[in-house]
Amino acid sequence: MNKIPRPTPEEMIRKSFARFTDEEIIPKAREMDEADQFPRWMFDKIAKTGAFGIRYPRSVGGAGGNTTQFCIMVEELARGSMSVAAFTAMQCLMGTNFLFEYGTPEQHERLLKPAIRGEKVASFALTEADAATDLANVKTTARPDAEEWVISGSKTWITNAPVADFFTVLCQTDKNKGLRGLDFFLIERDTPGLYVSKKFDKLGTRATEISELAFTDVRIPHENRLGKEGQGVGNLMRILSVIRVMTAALSLGLARAAYDQSARYAMERTQFKKHIGSFQLIQQKIANMATEIWASHLMTYTTAEMIDQGQRPLKEASMAKYYASEVACRCADEATRIFGAYSYSMEYDVQRYYRDCRFLLFGGGTSEILQTIISRECGVS
Amino acid sequence: MNIVVLVKQVPNTTDVKIDPKTGNLIREGVASIINPEDRHGLEAGLQIREKLGGTVTVISMGPPQAMETVCECLAMGADRGILLSDRAFAGADTWATSTALGMAVRKLGEFDLILAGRQAIDGDTAQIGPQVAEFLRIAQLTYVRRLDAQEGKVIAERALEDGCEHIEAPTPVLVTVLGALNKPRHPTVEGILAATSERSPVEVWNAADIGVKVQDVGLAGSLTHVVRTFTPKGARDTRRLEGSATVIAAELLEALRQKEIRLGE
Repeated sequence: MNKIPRPTPEEMIRKSFARFTDEEIIPKAREMDEADQFPRWMFDKIAKTGAFGIRYPRSVGGAGGNTTQFCIMVEELARGSMSVAAFTAMQCLMGTNFLFEYGTPEQHERLLKPAIRGEKVASFALTEADAATDLANVKTTARPDAEEWVISGSKTWITNAPVADFFTVLCQTDKNKGLRGLDFFLIERDTPGLYVSKKFDKLGTRATEISELAFTDVRIPHENRLGKEGQGVGNLMRILSVIRVMTAALSLGLARAAYDQSARYAMERTQFKKHIGSFQLIQQKIANMATEIWASHLMTYTTAEMIDQGQRPLKEASMAKYYASEVACRCADEATRIFGAYSYSMEYDVQRYYRDCRFLLFGGGTSEILQTIISRECGVS
Repeated sequence: MNIVVLVKQVPNTTDVKIDPKTGNLIREGVASIINPEDRHGLEAGLQIREKLGGTVTVISMGPPQAMETVCECLAMGADRGILLSDRAFAGADTWATSTALGMAVRKLGEFDLILAGRQAIDGDTAQIGPQVAEFLRIAQLTYVRRLDAQEGKVIAERALEDGCEHIEAPTPVLVTVLGALNKPRHPTVEGILAATSERSPVEVWNAADIGVKVQDVGLAGSLTHVVRTFTPKGARDTRRLEGSATVIAAELLEALRQKEIRLGE
């Protein structure tokens, strides 16, 4: 029998999710954006591909994939719709990671496996009014009371919150211990005392719903603390590189979408009886977009590979996220200039890229804090 | 029900370039996909398996890179993949291809249903399905847009130029399908990771494996040879009529008369 090598899983994941994006997402992307609500039907379609379990082992219903494959998948989804890619990333990573790592077998059966199947929506609650980058200032508290934890406080900017079935929530357990006094807790939506605000009216990613959470003496079982006492931030640091490189992949997807449309339009649009791509200033824009996208690609996937090799490349992941998200914003901006006035029309997708790219600047760390971290990692602080 | 699906890897574009010297398609630089109607054939096979049980085996003939197509079919849910790949198969016309595919099906043993797309987007012959059925001496239903399988028979709706035909056939039978039949599923992540592993159930068969003589397959076994492939010149003499409706109508009638085009009695 002849030996012919199989294609790599990375090639097939890219090809398969590229087709999914072209066939299922792109034709509906504008409609989803304009509807301004969580498209459960699209969430269900993505669930059928097994995407939500890509990072998890088969023992919990996942596929046993790696970070590179996860990044390829979300990059392709982001090429079609940042909203769809964002809620998929939340379901695959932040919303379920702590439940997978530290949840009980019973919690896995009741919540994790259904989330991987797409039957339950997961969310992750970190940010507070006065605590985002500054996690030590988290004021939502969890205090033990008999066999329960009592949660009080509020969270804001919580992706998927209006539609989520359960939340992984960062709470302060000992205010004297600073970052070592923080832990994650699993809180289900129907728990008495949990209030979900109405969704925010946002500039972009309008098909991802975001809102506030308020906790008024929310009582949860003792086993709902995810992880050992005081290790919440430490456990968060374990996946911070993954969160950042994933955000770089999202950025790459949006940048490619803006570039693809710009390159096509430059060869279609004529002025002075020439297509505008024949003008050197347009060529410069295309060349810079293509070059920066290639650099983003190399940074993103080199970093993802480091993670897959067991490293925790916080500096490289921070660089990749910082660079790729800024490139996404530059590409969206250049696309609006190449499209001219048409980019100002809601009839064209370019305006959506221009609005959605701003989302990338905040999640996973702002460019400003990332530059601070990178400099610190370089020994200059 | 034991189902065999015939699939072909084709260039992902209808705008392929042709090598002016050889008359062959230039495939370099063009991404490859599963022939679209073959995906519908596979989807039909998977749905029938889900309803009646059994197995779905995919057979594809092509160069080594067609392994990707076979793996994609496994990722969608096929149980087993066979890639017919041998230099002896190269340059085959539809007759020689059907011979190889037919022999491969025979080697598989008992089957109930063979599914294939109506035609491939790179050749548009629509000959492979019918020829494989003839080779195997089984019934064939072509241009199928609705299909229901039951133990021992299939019930199909065939699209005809002037209507449709409802027809029932006992198994074994070969069915060629249209895109209207169903909406193919996307591969799953788990399916992709399993299909691309070295343990995935894909076999590569050569001419000796399926028991054919090399003179019966490939270019040597082809009854037809492409003499020349070219794009017909589509230059048309276009004349734009302007003015009021009455003026345009009069000019149009006069132009048609000059071309001696009769407008009825």
